Amino acid sequence: MIRFENVSKVYARSTRPALSDINLEIERGEFVFVVGASGSGKSTLLRLVLKEEGVTQGTVLVAGQEVGSLPHRKVPRLRREIGTVFQDFRLLPNKNVYQNVAFALQVLGRSGHAIRQVVPETLEMVGLEGKEKRLPHELSGGEQQRVAIARAFVNKPPILLCDEPTGNLDPTTSLDIVRLLDRINRTGTTIVMATHDDDIVDQLRKRVVELKNGHIIRDENKGVYGSGS
Amino acid sequence: MRLQFMLSEIAIGLRRNLSIAVSVMLVTMVSVYLMGIGFLAQGQVDTLKGYWYDRIQVSIFMCGKDSLDANCDGKAVTDEQRDSLRSQLDEMKPLVKNVYFESEQQAFDRFKEQYRNSPLSDYLQVGDIPQNFRVQLNDPKKYDVVVSAFEGAPGVGRVQDQQKTLDKLFTVMNVVTIGSLFLAGLMVLCSILLMATTIRQAAFSRRRETGIMKLVGASNFTIRLPFVMETVLAALTGTGLAIVGLWVTADSLLPKVSAVLQDAPLVGTTDIWFVAPWLVGFMLVVSVLTSWATLRRYLRV
Repeated sequence: MIRFENVSKVYARSTRPALSDINLEIERGEFVFVVGASGSGKSTLLRLVLKEEGVTQGTVLVAGQEVGSLPHRKVPRLRREIGTVFQDFRLLPNKNVYQNVAFALQVLGRSGHAIRQVVPETLEMVGLEGKEKRLPHELSGGEQQRVAIARAFVNKPPILLCDEPTGNLDPTTSLDIVRLLDRINRTGTTIVMATHDDDIVDQLRKRVVELKNGHIIRDENKGVYGSGS
Repeated sequence: MRLQFMLSEIAIGLRRNLSIAVSVMLVTMVSVYLMGIGFLAQGQVDTLKGYWYDRIQVSIFMCGKDSLDANCDGKAVTDEQRDSLRSQLDEMKPLVKNVYFESEQQAFDRFKEQYRNSPLSDYLQVGDIPQNFRVQLNDPKKYDVVVSAFEGAPGVGRVQDQQKTLDKLFTVMNVVTIGSLFLAGLMVLCSILLMATTIRQAAFSRRRETGIMKLVGASNFTIRLPFVMETVLAALTGTGLAIVGLWVTADSLLPKVSAVLQDAPLVGTTDIWFVAPWLVGFMLVVSVLTSWATLRRYLRV
């Protein structure tokens, strides 16, 4: 589903590569934790998948498309295949829960009929039924992140990228969020989650890819956060 | 993107940026108004040129008994001299279209009639305006042929060409035209810069929305369209107001001018309907190009 072949990324005005010579293969339907300290290259890895950044060297393949050589006008189509969740939720403060989720479909030109059907389903799945009319500031952090996940998933993308989705949440809420992601994963969605939340990684026992200074230093199935380094 | 959703996005955008949208509208209005005035003034010059050039005449004033013109030498024109001028003019057909003879009495009457409201006419006596031939040309531009043929001929006091007088008038009107078009150009530049600034600001104030649009894979067209539409809407509203302004100008101001210029034809409200589509089209192209170019720069994928 996602494949990195000898990928290096050097940011302009930086001497040290953010990623160097990364080889990584993520299969369809996998749940992968990408762990590592701040600045180890986790976010860069996700940004390369989204083509928010271009690679310096190597090839990135996402859903069968070579991302590096993808022309600008085809980038939107790539991003429709990928849902994205961030640490800071990124909800629209003047739209309510329902509108925030519907927005993702409206800008893709989905019909009102389809939107009225899919949005309530998705909200129910993330456990927000009955809160459609709330504005983001009337919700707890965990609920806001559920809205963000609903928005990322409402278009049923085959890939869901999560960049420290629990970074702003307390441990119990964090675990709820990851359980939700796990449920989504079971519908066949590939999930890549960058995190440095060791509790969660240890509890879920999923594949763990550890980055350090832009290199992969560990890649194990059913791994834990701390071992090996 | 669905029409209803897009319209609501545009409405939200305009409400959020109302003051600056209004300023785009007003600046566009002034620039289009000036542009329209420039075009109408040019149209007026053309109409008047056509009108007056058709009526333009070369007047050959013959010597009267009190003529001060050097060529007359203090002697009035003789009958033979007048007949010879007449036959010379007749030979110049087809360059010459028509020749009218005006006696001293007729010239006096005409002047009295034309300047009946002016104190000048009280001092005029028969004979002050000498008898003359009024020569109408087939091609008014060739007036100099006639002028050179008769200037200094025996019995001719002075050859006067109305074109010179008219040309002065047209020069003044051309200056008005060029001046208003120049100002209009400056104002169009202002409105372009203002539109660009507006879009920059709007793109900044809506970076959250556009950021999410990019993330979920909305096309560039979808992301940019509301910004373009808002700018176009503001610009076209301004253009519409300007056209209304032009219409009011033509409707209420021009009749006053025509009272002065008597029967000369003037541009009118119908000319505005002819100019309006061009103004709208121009502003449409300008606003679309400006907003698209600005968005390419400030709203990258």
